Amino acid sequence: MNDTPADQVRLPRETKGKRPRFFDDPAIDQMMTFMLELTTEVAVLRERMDTVERLLDERGSVTRAAIEAYQPSATVEAERNAWREAYLKRIYRMHPPV
Amino acid sequence: MSLKVTRMAAQPSEIPVPNIEELFRPTHDERARQGMVSFIRKLAIIDMRRSLKEDYENRIEPQLDREGRKPADWQAIEKAVEHENTYRFYSAVRYNAQEMCYLSVQPAVERALPAMVGLARELAVRNPAGGSLRLNPTLELPKYITALDVHLTPGWVHSEHTADDVAQAAVVSFGGKVFTGQHPYRKRPGVVGESIACWIRKKYPNFAPRRILDLGTTSGKNLLPYCTAFPQAEAHGIDVAAPVLRYGHALAEHEGIAVHFSQQNAEQTDFPDGHFDLIVSSFFFHEVSLKATRKILAECKRLLAPGGLMVHMELPDEASVSPYENFFWNWDTHNNNEPWYTAFRAEDPVALCTAAGFDSSRSFKTHIPDIASFGEERYERFMRGELPSPAHGAGGWFVFGAERD
Repeated sequence: MNDTPADQVRLPRETKGKRPRFFDDPAIDQMMTFMLELTTEVAVLRERMDTVERLLDERGSVTRAAIEAYQPSATVEAERNAWREAYLKRIYRMHPPV
Repeated sequence: MSLKVTRMAAQPSEIPVPNIEELFRPTHDERARQGMVSFIRKLAIIDMRRSLKEDYENRIEPQLDREGRKPADWQAIEKAVEHENTYRFYSAVRYNAQEMCYLSVQPAVERALPAMVGLARELAVRNPAGGSLRLNPTLELPKYITALDVHLTPGWVHSEHTADDVAQAAVVSFGGKVFTGQHPYRKRPGVVGESIACWIRKKYPNFAPRRILDLGTTSGKNLLPYCTAFPQAEAHGIDVAAPVLRYGHALAEHEGIAVHFSQQNAEQTDFPDGHFDLIVSSFFFHEVSLKATRKILAECKRLLAPGGLMVHMELPDEASVSPYENFFWNWDTHNNNEPWYTAFRAEDPVALCTAAGFDSSRSFKTHIPDIASFGEERYERFMRGELPSPAHGAGGWFVFGAERD
């Protein structure tokens, strides 16, 4: 039995098992991880900005608590999904195969 | 919302049963992160997968064909594409997206954990819906569960980080929602069970199972639809991993559905002979060793009552799909920590059933439509043989099983 208190559990972030390499240079595999995480963080920032703008439109003021409590409607979520899709398309612009 | 449920003098049915999943409260930014990861996952599994296939069909294969080296099987296809950028970027994005699904939910699971553990513990005592939870702390976890973190989920379904832990179940459940968030054919949890239950009811209209068993049930999400389809039946779910059983029990009690969860290895259960009329599983056999698969199917034969039915949703076997599709499916073997995937798919599921003692003429493998995306009206036409089922993973599900004499 594990006696760590539930409020002190830190879940493992690394996977047990050999990590595959897809590129000749493992640094590129590592760079892909950095890039995808960065792609995600930019989207997080952009969504926070979007929430701020929407709150300002609706109420004329904004607080951190209001950002945290903001629940997007289905329409807002659909707009955000369209943005996410287009955003990824802009970033992952693959060169034609040669 | 109060997270504590106190025992009251009222009838069990009058006490509202909190939903353990509502205790998961990601922050604004965590939700944004999860939303984005769903799209990265879709980019890989839909868009980049399509680009790779087009590149293979339009450029790579014709070029090899001209050189007299056209790939004849999935291994040759893998070799032909593994140094191509379309394959490398598809694989790298897919692998990272898989990891990010779980990473994006872990902080919120950690914060929710004390309340989740408390609720699951409470419901395991109270059983307001009439289900039960039977754990066996001395059960030895098979090596095929513990050797690798399957699906790149750190800690997979079995790891326990605190007493009465449910964390891995929550990570798998919410990580799974991120994983399928933008997938066109994984519209809701339990849709596999829902699809098979619908198919059984149409194909066997007089079938009325008294007891149902779901193997490798994890949190029972694919078992609950069978309870709705066959409300008179007693439902049992087994798994070797305690965290998912605790969590699944809490979920079922919240849904008001009586499910009996027990921690058992499907290779050898403690149920009496002929105890079940319906035995099911989903996404299960390819996660266990081939040796275990054979033992589990033999155990199904022992547990199934005369006139009973066994239906397992699985990956299509190698012989059922093209070499290119085999190459696509087998990617997971080394890249998604699913070491038994290729070996399981190389077997004919009907032959596996026959080897386990089922009648070959009453064993089957087939595709059935996904109920959420196919729709009721088209389903009727499928049952009349007027429409084919979409392929596995593209609006259909591959199933195999047997009818018991």
